[in-house]
Amino acid sequence: MRRPRAVVTTTTMVTVALMLLLGNGTASVSVAAELTGAPAPDFVLKSLSGQNMRLSELRGEVVLLSFWATWCGECRAQLAELGAWYGRYHGAGFELLAISLDRDWSDIGETAEALSLPYPVLADADLTVSRLYEVTSMPVSILIDRDGVVREVIHGFRRGRGQSDLDLVRELLRE
Amino acid sequence: MRGNSYLTLLAAVVLSPAAMAQTDSGDASLPEFNASQASTGRAGDAADFRTLDSDIQDLKQLVLELNRDLFLLEEELLFPANTQVAIFVSMDVGDFFQLDSVQIKVDEKDVSNYLYTEREVSALIRGGVHQIYLGNLRAGEHELVAIFTGEGPHERDYRRGATIVFEKGIGPKYIELTISDREQALQPEFVVKEWE
Repeated sequence: MRRPRAVVTTTTMVTVALMLLLGNGTASVSVAAELTGAPAPDFVLKSLSGQNMRLSELRGEVVLLSFWATWCGECRAQLAELGAWYGRYHGAGFELLAISLDRDWSDIGETAEALSLPYPVLADADLTVSRLYEVTSMPVSILIDRDGVVREVIHGFRRGRGQSDLDLVRELLRE
Repeated sequence: MRGNSYLTLLAAVVLSPAAMAQTDSGDASLPEFNASQASTGRAGDAADFRTLDSDIQDLKQLVLELNRDLFLLEEELLFPANTQVAIFVSMDVGDFFQLDSVQIKVDEKDVSNYLYTEREVSALIRGGVHQIYLGNLRAGEHELVAIFTGEGPHERDYRRGATIVFEKGIGPKYIELTISDREQALQPEFVVKEWE
């Protein structure tokens, strides 16, 4: 019997809130420092379309991992804006993977459909990948270059102020 | 005062030619420009570059060989032959079967849960073999449970399992799990093969 959505959503929120409480701004900075310049940890997750996607198979492309959740308003706003980036630069070798921390696939699917997300949406229900990347706040985006190295960890969503991030993406695409 | 001036002037006159004549090698004459020597110099530089490039390539080769040896040594240390157990997955399917995942349990313990991407499945269908598990087991009887899930023709979902009891001897043990539909058409099953 399917659990009520409210219970599932609440459980997810409590789980992620605990993760966030255990972390703090200082931790975010230190995690960014550890990740940046290091090879991006490999993982495989199932996408909403049913395909399994492995990060290492995208070697050679510039990849942006965006960690989000359906209850995170800033995350949803960022995902919508990232859709424009994807549409513009996907043909030049830009890949975007939206990794959801929600447990309920239907919630993820409904949100992705409502936002008309054109890029793969992956589910990290057991938080394996988010632990791998030590996600302590959301939204957080990890920018990976063509050699599979983490070049930037972007915390939060800078609405209208993402030009510097976009410039970095363009720079990596030119490499 | 005038004497000091004379002495200073005398020192300048005496010392300046000597300073001009002094070179690193003590040779007073300037080298003459020689075009043939210049071209010989350039050819020499090119030869030096080729030698340097060759040295670099040799070093790279040495590094690769060393890396390979270290990998083998690490594997032998972590998984010594007398306890080593390796499980492989391969596919032999006639009609289209999209493998999704394979789970492996050894002695009721989850040891592997591998999600296959489209690219990996394509490689398996073309004859590739995937080492899904490498571990250590003591000698004796052990139970292996393998479950695969996937999608078959007409978008039909499949979930099949197999339980194998095998004997671990002194040497390494290799078990191949082949997903095959040769026995029953359109019905993929596990075929277990123990390598000698």
